[in-house]
Amino acid sequence: MTINNYQKRETFLLLSPILLLFFLASCQKQPVLNFGSNYNGDNGSADIVVVDTATVAMSTVRVDSTATAGTGYLQVGEYKDDYFGTVRSRAFLQVTPPSLPKITVFDGYDSIYLVMLFKKGSPFYGDTTSEMTINVNQVNELYQLSDARQQRAFYSNWSFGTDPTPLGSATVKMYPSIPFSSQGFGDTVKIKLNSALGLQLYNMIYNNADTITKSANWLNWFHGLCISAAPTSGPGAIYGFKDSCFMRIYYHEVGTTTSIKTIDFGLANKGFQFNNITTDRTGSPAAGIAGLPPGSSAQTPPATLSTAVGGAGYVQPATGLNVKLTFPYLNGIAHRPDFLSVVRAVLTVRPVGPSFTTTWTLPPQLSPDLTDLNNLIGAPLPSSTTGAAQTGNMVVNYAIPQNTAYTYDVTNFIKAQILNVAVGATDRGLMLTVPSPNNVSSFARAILADGNAPTTQKVTLTIYYLSLYPHN
Amino acid sequence: MKIRSRSYILLALVFFASLRTMAQGNFSPYSQMGIGDLEDGFYNRTSGLANTGLAYRNNRYIINNNPAAYSGLSDQYFTVEMGVRGSVVNYYGTPVNPASTQSGDITFRRLAMAIKLSKHWGSSIGLVPFSTQNYEYDVPYYLQGSTNELANHHYQGHGSVNKAYWGNAYEFFHHLSVGVEAGYLFGQLNQKDNLQNIGTGATLASTTNTVDLNNLYMQYGLQLYGKLGKKWDYSIGGTFNQRNDLLASYNRVVLDNDSIQRNSQQLSQTYLGVPNAFGVGLALTHKQKYTFLADYKYQNWAAEKNSYPGKNYTITNSQRGSVGFEISRKRSFYNSQIELSYAQIGAYYGETYLQVNGQQIKDYGLTAAFGVNGLKGQNPLCYDIVLQYGVKGTQQNNLVQQRYFNITFVINYGTIWFTKGKKYD
Repeated sequence: MTINNYQKRETFLLLSPILLLFFLASCQKQPVLNFGSNYNGDNGSADIVVVDTATVAMSTVRVDSTATAGTGYLQVGEYKDDYFGTVRSRAFLQVTPPSLPKITVFDGYDSIYLVMLFKKGSPFYGDTTSEMTINVNQVNELYQLSDARQQRAFYSNWSFGTDPTPLGSATVKMYPSIPFSSQGFGDTVKIKLNSALGLQLYNMIYNNADTITKSANWLNWFHGLCISAAPTSGPGAIYGFKDSCFMRIYYHEVGTTTSIKTIDFGLANKGFQFNNITTDRTGSPAAGIAGLPPGSSAQTPPATLSTAVGGAGYVQPATGLNVKLTFPYLNGIAHRPDFLSVVRAVLTVRPVGPSFTTTWTLPPQLSPDLTDLNNLIGAPLPSSTTGAAQTGNMVVNYAIPQNTAYTYDVTNFIKAQILNVAVGATDRGLMLTVPSPNNVSSFARAILADGNAPTTQKVTLTIYYLSLYPHN
Repeated sequence: MKIRSRSYILLALVFFASLRTMAQGNFSPYSQMGIGDLEDGFYNRTSGLANTGLAYRNNRYIINNNPAAYSGLSDQYFTVEMGVRGSVVNYYGTPVNPASTQSGDITFRRLAMAIKLSKHWGSSIGLVPFSTQNYEYDVPYYLQGSTNELANHHYQGHGSVNKAYWGNAYEFFHHLSVGVEAGYLFGQLNQKDNLQNIGTGATLASTTNTVDLNNLYMQYGLQLYGKLGKKWDYSIGGTFNQRNDLLASYNRVVLDNDSIQRNSQQLSQTYLGVPNAFGVGLALTHKQKYTFLADYKYQNWAAEKNSYPGKNYTITNSQRGSVGFEISRKRSFYNSQIELSYAQIGAYYGETYLQVNGQQIKDYGLTAAFGVNGLKGQNPLCYDIVLQYGVKGTQQNNLVQQRYFNITFVINYGTIWFTKGKKYD
């Protein structure tokens, strides 16, 4: 008698490979078919709607000063800009004696110069084809921060009194791209100073005078120098000399052979070197940009609407100008019945066509920084995709100026702002400014067209939003 | 006992895995229309006969072409069948990108069980595909509000409607069998619209429209059979499907480019009709060895066309004719004939329920099969390998033609029940 068990192993063996087949089923390739668009009815899918008509309000915010101390450059010069008026920069600095050499009675004083260096890559702005007369004046008051003003640093609106008579002058023509100066010393500009001062200093060194050897005495006696440019008849320019400049005494040392020796007075404190920048915008389109009245204690720098200054915003942080953009009617998009969410938002800002040339160049980078009703510059707005800082990706096109534009991914800002109904929300915006360090070392500026400019020029906020019309 | 438990667990796994894999398959461009590609294959013993089997009866295989056939099983016989299909499809026509014209896949197609509950009563339950949807295509377009920014609608449609059925057949007078199949149609069709950046392909947003479908779809069957003289056997079969409305529940989910859900909405329910249908078939067997079969089926889809959205295509009546021929090799075993193997060929021609660009989509082809049976009581397994070549659609009127080659494995496991697991030889 044989007993057969009908639940045999075959069942297990049978089912196992079939299970394997199921998992193989997902391994398949597929053809590419362009078939179906004609047969697809309205399936109520979400769509993406582009809105590029959102109002962008533009205004120029003017601060009374910028932090020009310790920038590394002595900005010296003056230029006349058709859009920004006359811009002038003077450099203030203190020099300090070095460790003193041993001078004998047989040695003799020769001369004293201020030596300034213009290195390749140093900033300059304006018309560099004309000559510039550089004056060196002695500061005639104590070169120090004001305790009364609770001053912590020197700013562009600060200056010291100077002797009206220059210690020395030199007229040079600069070739900044090489760089080379017409004096023939390569990238060096030398300004011969008053020999009486030089001889006096030489004798002090020879005598080891306290005025020379003791720092406090020295600074009380020799407050500092102001380097400025004489008013120009032409367009003019401003050059940024390195702060490694020095005042040099030449003397000859008598020995077996006579040799030329030097004594260099370098910068006493680079953090105390600052540039005093002044503007005269009279008669220029920027003349209407309002600033805080002198002596005002207000903390909020005023904003001047673009409509009051020729339909443009003016960016030149070195002279205190930045452009604020606000989006007052964004909520209107969020209230559309089909609005779901912002997918992407792109801000495009274009400079006014004729305002930039190879002489009056644009800032290569403009940063969109957050701002609010206080008109202060906040944190930079990073790209929503890369998280990197944004600078506008501007490629200048002089042949077709309207193709020159700064563009920004403002998705994250618009996502937050479009639903923001808090008090003061409409004052939240983006401040376009030149990122550091060029904000204080470069005079490159931009005149940005506002929303009333022709379509190909105007500032544009393009919002891509996810749209779904209600269905039952 | 341990083996039995493992087998049950595996069977359960097969069942649930089959639900997942029935929906997958090659791209079928016409499946975006109507309720998808209707399944006209049974993945059983009749597959090699071009699925001709309305009049077919078998004592070992589950013939679910006609519910009346379940009474043909051997007494006390319990059987399980599965069908797995591998398919390669070549696509032709203007819309086909020459760089990629072929696809291939392996999919589970059927799971069924049947038992002869009494001498005249056969019953079967199973899970089979009713229709499938599987397509993708791109539609470039200008973003709304822009005249120069292109984006891309990448449409994906996937899903299936499956049928879980319970069929019963009762034999009267040894010549008449009446069957009823209660089929429960259920499934989900998903259409996903991916809005893509046309340059990078990055997804900007997606909308997934899901349709859940379910309802009963009844089928009634009849078979009349007997002898014609000493050498011939005959069988005549017929089926009728009763129309019904599938409850369609729509749900829509919108995701943004960060995959954050921005909208989820239950839309109002509608109904999609499945039509009245009938079929008739004939089978003639000579000396229990040679069988000739013919079927004709008709589905009244035109009456349901208003329930299907879409444009530039029409739902129309469908029909299908098929013929088959089978040679069966048997040997005598204890006063009965035991089938050892068989070979089949078949041919079919059908007009589907879709009329696109003025052309009714046709589907025709040839089949061949070979099967080997284990001896009852010694080997419970039977194997069937089916080859099929067919052509669906046309290249005319900017349409797509699919030329497909299928290889199907049907595996049958059978045993005698109600013997307490023991049989004494």
